[in-house]
Amino acid sequence: MNARAPQHNNVVIQSLAQIGNCGLFLLTLLVAIPRSFRYVRETVRQLWFVGAMSLTIIMVCGLFIGMVLMLQLYNVLSIFGSTSASGMVVALAVYRELGPVVTALLFAGRAGTSITAEIGLMRATDQIDAMEMMAVDPIAYVATPRFLAGLIAMPLLCCVFCAMAIFGGHLVGVTWLGIDNGTFWSNMTAVVVVHTDIVNGVLFKSLVFGAVVSLIAVFQGFTTPPTSEGVAYATTRTVVASSIAILALDFVLTAFLM
Amino acid sequence: MSQQRSSYAVGTGLFIVLGFAALAYLATQTSSVANVHQGASYSVDAHFTNIGQLKERAPVKIAGVRVGQVQSITLTPGQEVADVKLAIDKRYDAIPQDSVATIFTSGLLGDQYVGIEYGSSKQMVAAGGTLSRTKSSQPLEEMLGKFFGAGGVTDNIGGTYVVKADFTNVGTLSAGAPVKMAGVVIGSVQSVRADPVKLNAQVVLAIDKRYDTIPDDSSAAVFTSGLIGSQYVAIQPGGSPDALKDGDEMILTQSAMQLEDLIGKFLVNGSSSDKKDAGDGKSDTPAGKH
Repeated sequence: MNARAPQHNNVVIQSLAQIGNCGLFLLTLLVAIPRSFRYVRETVRQLWFVGAMSLTIIMVCGLFIGMVLMLQLYNVLSIFGSTSASGMVVALAVYRELGPVVTALLFAGRAGTSITAEIGLMRATDQIDAMEMMAVDPIAYVATPRFLAGLIAMPLLCCVFCAMAIFGGHLVGVTWLGIDNGTFWSNMTAVVVVHTDIVNGVLFKSLVFGAVVSLIAVFQGFTTPPTSEGVAYATTRTVVASSIAILALDFVLTAFLM
Repeated sequence: MSQQRSSYAVGTGLFIVLGFAALAYLATQTSSVANVHQGASYSVDAHFTNIGQLKERAPVKIAGVRVGQVQSITLTPGQEVADVKLAIDKRYDAIPQDSVATIFTSGLLGDQYVGIEYGSSKQMVAAGGTLSRTKSSQPLEEMLGKFFGAGGVTDNIGGTYVVKADFTNVGTLSAGAPVKMAGVVIGSVQSVRADPVKLNAQVVLAIDKRYDTIPDDSSAAVFTSGLIGSQYVAIQPGGSPDALKDGDEMILTQSAMQLEDLIGKFLVNGSSSDKKDAGDGKSDTPAGKH
């Protein structure tokens, strides 16, 4: 498997070729899904690595996002005497935008980079080639399990993130700043709709982001030049490309789902 | 190796369970109605003709202090009153039977809550009892309507009779504006037009037939409801034994005031009444009085 892009000098053509290769790589990944069922244990191991191991950072960040959001909203809304609406705004902001986007950015930094670096080093040390020699399909054994793990892990991580953000908002708003507990929850439940906010906002967006981030991470790993410099470069590229893709896709998805 | 694998599996399983637990939390606690745990409470019914924006779990307050929350809001089919169940903390179990439950709004744009004002009855409302005296939420439209004086134009149930009045200045008075006596709407302005001969404004007032004993020396004035409200015609009864009849003309009129006059009047009146009511050091009131 050698999906490396041919060298071009023009930046535009180069990035177009990159996107095209990435799309082709996605097809290869999807086709390899049935074959990777043999390696379901590997998928579970990757899920543990990208999902369970990311829980700490996701939970801490979610908590602080909720807390700071509530603090800011409280200060602004107290001008209008409507601080009781701040819980509702925290919930909507987190469910619709901050939850999926921040989780995806953290996921790209925490899990995407290590996927790229791991696969890149496998390439650099010829482990991928060795697998092919041993008649083990590297796409089905290395790429697809990581891709699937990212796809499954992201929505779950996003749910945890949102729950922690609500908890943080509650902590600051109700416990510290004295917003009424019942008002906090009743305002929230009055505006949050399961379909538009939780299914479309939290679950669908994070599923798409999970797919995009893990695709980019695996693709960068597989196409990295087999040198230590190349691995470093590919890792950086994973973060940059993932972040841009997440934020651009977030706008597109929001526009479509609204 | 298998030991290590099974620890991966356990960790992954825990992660998945946690993720789904978080999802369930989001879907049930923050989006649909769920019961927040509260201390021991008892429930009291209150019936309102209009609950406005009151929501379940909105606070219930006595003297501004939260004592419970709204448990449920239901509407019995075929009835026009909403049945609001209030869950009140057991500690506050001495609420007189004749207390008044009112739906208030915190601030102008704030949330609504139920305020309970104590009555004087010796009998306390029991768990499951009903607070029979309630004041419903005031819809903003109604309040604004009252404020602008345009909300309560009577439907001409018993027919109207027509009275003319000449003003030198009607301000922004327009057809359809209310005609009030003692602040109560008794009719409406039928037409406003300039008199080509007398060069003043001739206003035709349609007054409800029920009010047929208005003295014929009563005066009509163009007033403004509030500082920025719309204008209406106020009738100040005179002392004549004869009543106004259909087609009569009111001689005594007071025209609309210019905004400058109005503000001047408002400031002077407002401050002098302040002084009378509160007397809390507002000694810098203007001396001029009307």
